[in-house]
Amino acid sequence: MKPSLISSRRALLGSLAVTILTLGTIGLIAHLQSPTRGLPYFDSFATGKAEGWQAFGGTWALVSGVMRNDSDERGAKLLTGSAYWEDYSIEGDVMLLGLDGDAGFIVRSSNEEEGVDAYDGYYVGLRSRDNSIVLGRAGYGWAERSFPMSASQDSMQVLHWYHLKVLVNGCRLIASASITTAAAPTLASFIDDDCIRRGRIGLRSYRSGGAWRSIVVRLATQHDVDQMLARGNIRDAPSTPFPSTDFSDLSNPSLPSSVDLPQPSTPDPGTIPITNLRLYALTKPAKATVRGLVTLTAPAIYVQDSTGGVAVQQAMPKRLKVGDEVEASGDVRHDAFSSILEHAMVRVLWEGTPIPAVSVTPFQASTGAFDATFIEVEGHLRRKAYGLGDSLILDFDAGSQSFRAILNPGRSSYLYRELKLDSLLRVRGIAVADSAYTGNLTPFAVLVRSSDDIDVLAGPPWWSAGHLVIMSIGLLILALSANLLYQRIENWRLHAVVEERERLAYEMHDTLAQSVAGIGFQLEAIRVALPKQLTSVHQQLDLASQFVRHSHAEARRSVDMLRPHQLESEDLLNALSNCADRLVAGSSVKVIASSTGDAHPLTLRIADTLFRIGQEALANAVRHAEPKSLAITLEYEKNLVRLLIDDNGRGFVEQQNQHSLGVLGMRKRAMSISANLEVRSSPGEGTVVIVTAPLPPRATFGSWPAFSWKLLKESARNVKPVGKSYPYTDSR
Amino acid sequence: MEAGVHIYWNAPTREDNIDDQITIVQRVTARGYQGLVLAPDHAQALITPVRRAMSHGLPVVVVGSPLSIPPGNGLCYVLNDEEVGGRIAAQRVAMILHGRGTVALLGIDPDILGIITRARSVEQFLAENYPDIHILVKQVGTFNRFREQQVAKETLKTNPDLDAIIALTSTSEHAVLSAIGDSQTSHVKVIVFDPEVWIFDDPHIDSLVVEDMEKMGAEAVSQILRKSTGRTMTPLTKFEPVLLTRENYTNEAPELYSMIYAWPAHSRWRWTIDP
Repeated sequence: MKPSLISSRRALLGSLAVTILTLGTIGLIAHLQSPTRGLPYFDSFATGKAEGWQAFGGTWALVSGVMRNDSDERGAKLLTGSAYWEDYSIEGDVMLLGLDGDAGFIVRSSNEEEGVDAYDGYYVGLRSRDNSIVLGRAGYGWAERSFPMSASQDSMQVLHWYHLKVLVNGCRLIASASITTAAAPTLASFIDDDCIRRGRIGLRSYRSGGAWRSIVVRLATQHDVDQMLARGNIRDAPSTPFPSTDFSDLSNPSLPSSVDLPQPSTPDPGTIPITNLRLYALTKPAKATVRGLVTLTAPAIYVQDSTGGVAVQQAMPKRLKVGDEVEASGDVRHDAFSSILEHAMVRVLWEGTPIPAVSVTPFQASTGAFDATFIEVEGHLRRKAYGLGDSLILDFDAGSQSFRAILNPGRSSYLYRELKLDSLLRVRGIAVADSAYTGNLTPFAVLVRSSDDIDVLAGPPWWSAGHLVIMSIGLLILALSANLLYQRIENWRLHAVVEERERLAYEMHDTLAQSVAGIGFQLEAIRVALPKQLTSVHQQLDLASQFVRHSHAEARRSVDMLRPHQLESEDLLNALSNCADRLVAGSSVKVIASSTGDAHPLTLRIADTLFRIGQEALANAVRHAEPKSLAITLEYEKNLVRLLIDDNGRGFVEQQNQHSLGVLGMRKRAMSISANLEVRSSPGEGTVVIVTAPLPPRATFGSWPAFSWKLLKESARNVKPVGKSYPYTDSR
Repeated sequence: MEAGVHIYWNAPTREDNIDDQITIVQRVTARGYQGLVLAPDHAQALITPVRRAMSHGLPVVVVGSPLSIPPGNGLCYVLNDEEVGGRIAAQRVAMILHGRGTVALLGIDPDILGIITRARSVEQFLAENYPDIHILVKQVGTFNRFREQQVAKETLKTNPDLDAIIALTSTSEHAVLSAIGDSQTSHVKVIVFDPEVWIFDDPHIDSLVVEDMEKMGAEAVSQILRKSTGRTMTPLTKFEPVLLTRENYTNEAPELYSMIYAWPAHSRWRWTIDP
């Protein structure tokens, strides 16, 4: 196939590949940034999953299919969805868990951080203080309007489910809220002229805890806007039936009830420090009363005061939340490191602020001194797995110690995906020595309250085995590329040299050789014109003509030596054979050319070098050895090619000619291709010149490492001789 | 925005979460903003983050309540005049009690210097000018509403004849009003500092002592701009708070109305209610 066709085909394939890659990239970007990607969205709270939800503050947890935030922070938020969602509606059931606060949905959110109003987006919430729907715009600042609930609705109550729907279309935002299926919903809408166009959805509460369920997000069109505005009193049917006031869940102790709101009460003066429980009633069962803050509610309740912590098993389960100050009275039971308050009656004294974690080393925690205490500990993540009930189990190493962290199901899937093995993590949670948690594999376990209690301090070290392999491959590819580039440049240079030689050859042919020939003709003319009596002049003219013929022959030979076209039109063996034929033309010297082995295609560089060496050897043989025959042999082996120029001339003493200029030139040429040159001769026995040149290995998928290494070695070996002393000129 | 200034506003979601406020200060310091306006939640804990911000060349304006760092080196204060605020509240108490009666001071947060000064000013003014008004109760306060509610409830229980309560923070305001509602006490008058909303939605609220936050904020930004243009920051600027009563608030005096934070929504949003 012609080279031009090959290059055209390559260019076509390349263009096709680039086009496909570009189109693929554009398609991928368009898909990722599509405003409809992931819509409609239905939460998976009912199945205990909350993947993709990102918390900013709060104590978010999934409990019985309900996403809850028990904290009364100002603006705790939980977000999900695509930043490219534009026109959509979100609806679901919302419950306020406390007085004087609000809870609702965030729409079109972006640029979120932890903090009050620390996002760009809109918020629609239900606020009990003024019995209204609040519509606000946050942008690291806050602007709001409140819309009183319609007269047909009762006053807003805590611990009641409300159905809230928010629709954003263009710059219009519409919200509707209702408490009963029968009552007309309160509808509010506004148009923000300079509106936020796109963003994620979220759940948010302000100064009150909140609960959410049955979240559905759908695309919204102008038709939906008109329908929602026109319906007015007609509430959209929820995705799942929602009772207006759903008390069916009250049997579940972890859900809020309307009767156990924390009411301030007077503490019992007979309480004892929690640490004293360990010395309390060692021999016989006894009752004790402790007072402290709730540090964990699931999978077990832990209460902590300034002296330590204790697990509390309630006699009558009631809703507690982290930060509640409680008084617990129950039977004291002892384990090896800890005490447990069983059958305890728990009274909430008041809501409190969650206590900060005690920072300890894994060694300190392993002594059991911090059992049931809210601690903060650091370690390297070695293993992650799911345990019972889809809880996430993280195993850590920290110096001489190891421990594990256990996270409740819910948002653990997100963590499982995000946390990288060998990362340095800081974990906050309740330290427990109970074998039910440790599995007797570690001295202690940490019961983590939420995914926000795990901080990544440092990612896995870069020098992992995988990265080292990738780096090695990268380096090899880089070296290979550099070598290939180097080879390509060398080829370009060689081509340039060859072209220059050719130019010189034509120049010599057209000028010097023609002039010499002209001189010869003139001398011959003079000789013919001169009288034969002038014998001495004839002798001088003959001598001059002889010099001229010799010079002409030398010029022709030089032109032949410089002209490289033989290699372009013929293979190496034919080129050398033709060269020899020209050298011995008119004589009886016999030229024999042969080859053995499977002929490999030779690179231009190797072929040219072998040709020059062979040419020099043939010329030397013809000029000095007076041979009867010349044998040119090319031997192809697996990884090398060998050239032999063998004459049966008079030979010479090897030691006398090893350092002659011609041999040195051939040797230098041989070195330039990492070849070995050998000259064998003895007087009367002829001469053989042997050049053995290694062939570049063929790159295959299996042999590329060896191939790269060999190329590297070769290039390292070749840089100096090739760059500085490549014998371009005829050395004779 | 009006001065071409981009404002990054943020605060911890829990008022007593000092760690989060420190984190936000560090974030601002690292992000290369041109200035920091800080309303510290704690007089001591914010010293190091503020000093580090200053060492990064960030001009810092502390608003509301001071830190124990002298002004200078890129730090200045734009404060609410707590002495005046204390006197205003004390005068109001004296007026409604006609110079005789009993008072409780609730919500004295020791972590905030301004509130300490506020409480001291009330006490000092009454002692000097109205010796027949006695402060029976002084309670330490926090941002914990339920704890404050408990404190207020105990205060009312042990002092049923209290004539007035001065709530020094908005948290104690909520607690006091809730406790009064629970105890069915009808005669107690409440004077509130820094209320969350300026409404007289409870009959026990007598008056509100409000800070001029808009002016303080504008002055703080102005100080940052002065610093950025090579001028000297004013070490200390104080703004006097204002007493809002049912009488002067309903009259909508222009100077009071101007103190209401100018919500962008008021001027920009078009809104409707249906039905």
